Amino acid sequence: MLKINNLVSGYGSVQILNGSNMEVKNQSIVALLGGNGTGKSTILKACSGIIRAWKGTISFDGEEIQNLAPHKIVEKGLVQVTQGKDVFPAMTVLENLRLGGFVLKSNIDLKNNLEKVFNYFPRLNERKNQLAATLSGGELQMLCIGRGLMSNPKMIMLDEPSAALAPQIVMDIFKNINKIRKDGLTVLVVEQNVRMALLLADYGYVIKDGAINVEGDSKKLMYDESVKDSYLGGGGTTANV
Amino acid sequence: MFKKLRLTSKIENALMLTFTLIFLIFISISPDMNLESLKGVLIIGITVGIIYGLVAVGISLIYTGLDVVNFSHGEFFMLGAFTGLTVYNFLIDGEIIYKIFPEAYGWVGYVIGLFLAFVTMGLFGILIERIFLRPLTKKGGGYTVAGMGIIICGFGLSVILQNVAYVIWDPTAHPFHADLGLPITLGGVTLPMTYLWMLVTGFIVAGALYFFLNKTKMGLGVRAVAYSKVVSNLVGINVPLYISIIFGIACALAGIAGTLVGPTYQVVIYMGYIILLKAFAAAVVGGFGSLPGAIIGGFTVGLFETACAFFISGSHKDAYAFLLMIVVLLIKPTGFFGVQVKMKA
Repeated sequence: MLKINNLVSGYGSVQILNGSNMEVKNQSIVALLGGNGTGKSTILKACSGIIRAWKGTISFDGEEIQNLAPHKIVEKGLVQVTQGKDVFPAMTVLENLRLGGFVLKSNIDLKNNLEKVFNYFPRLNERKNQLAATLSGGELQMLCIGRGLMSNPKMIMLDEPSAALAPQIVMDIFKNINKIRKDGLTVLVVEQNVRMALLLADYGYVIKDGAINVEGDSKKLMYDESVKDSYLGGGGTTANV
Repeated sequence: MFKKLRLTSKIENALMLTFTLIFLIFISISPDMNLESLKGVLIIGITVGIIYGLVAVGISLIYTGLDVVNFSHGEFFMLGAFTGLTVYNFLIDGEIIYKIFPEAYGWVGYVIGLFLAFVTMGLFGILIERIFLRPLTKKGGGYTVAGMGIIICGFGLSVILQNVAYVIWDPTAHPFHADLGLPITLGGVTLPMTYLWMLVTGFIVAGALYFFLNKTKMGLGVRAVAYSKVVSNLVGINVPLYISIIFGIACALAGIAGTLVGPTYQVVIYMGYIILLKAFAAAVVGGFGSLPGAIIGGFTVGLFETACAFFISGSHKDAYAFLLMIVVLLIKPTGFFGVQVKMKA
């Protein structure tokens, strides 16, 4: 579904990615792991067109997308879901979700997708007329994921869905991500919460200094000593299963 | 997770109230004070205020969309007035309208003038944004060095547009004889029809803008882009297109405001300068970047200015708006509806 080939990119003149290679297979959940400042989010931004690829290619659904404008990439069905703080706080939950379906042409699609999102997250239905600024952290994350699902995507990329949330809520959100995959979507999840991400994912990539360092089946990665020690803060509680 | 968006403090509100009371006492001891003049001041103040409001909304829209203050906004007001005047004169001189609507040729011509001023200025604004501002916006938004470039470019554009108008319409003052009918009496106040047109059209345009922003899909997109360009990109909004739309709407509002003001005063190439400063004062009083704030700020400046001009002295009319702006900035730096910090994604 998504194939990243030898991707080089960065901000301004600062190079962050030094030739990363990744592949996300259809209807799978892939975890992209790594410490702070290793380039996880940069890969996502390059995929969604916010920053340009300097070298290398990104292909989605068999088409190269690295030169497309961000809204064209959304129209193709690749949506990035940012952390919960990136909602529009002065708009209602419903308006935020409508914005998620901005690329949809018909109102019927919009209505159906709204129903689908409320099915995943009934909490949003209860709060649909509230301003997004009044939601709790968990609800904001639900809103962000819901907004991403509104445009009928084929694949969503989640940027740290567990950031700054209570374990109970993280479990809840991860269950929903699994449900989303079962309904036919492909998911790429960027995480710092390694244990949770590997429990959820089928396959994992570990990034270090802007390049993929270790990859493998998530069950294998979970017990991989080199991963645990070198890149995931070895000896820490997060990596111990 | 979110910082408190609005700064409200009891001391600030008390100070504002005190200032308002002092002002009211001051005008109520004026020898000119009576019910008739008060009514007149209210109606004229609101009429002038809605015009300031429309221009101020444009300045606020551009500020939220492009993150810069557009110092050439007054020239779009001036060019709008000239467009309206030219269209009106063309229609009336050629007697095209007169043949079709012999009874109401004046206001039919004026409505067409208003509409064309709105559309022409909107398209012209989009053109200006694409040619002059787009290369600078691409180099970084208003919070970078390029943003400073856009502001200077605005000053330059103002001079250029004035000179273009100089070449086309020469620097003399053009009277705008819109034949709109006899003055009417409204609640004991005799009001020229031009003022009534300003009042009614101003409210219709402000209402239409509110409807557009809150009830339509494109309006939703405009609000999203105004808040955060990065997140707007991620939900699939064509951000460069929407920045053009924002600039176009702001210029169209200034254009229609120009044609509305034209018949009351006169149309001259220097008319954009003072309205820019007044609208700027209105935007600051209402809270910079807030659209309802800009309209409320317009009313406040209009009413304050008219009341001071009538009850205190008419010869310093243009100074009162800035006096009010300074007082509001001293007491409540965010304005009525302003946000303390503009949060960016």
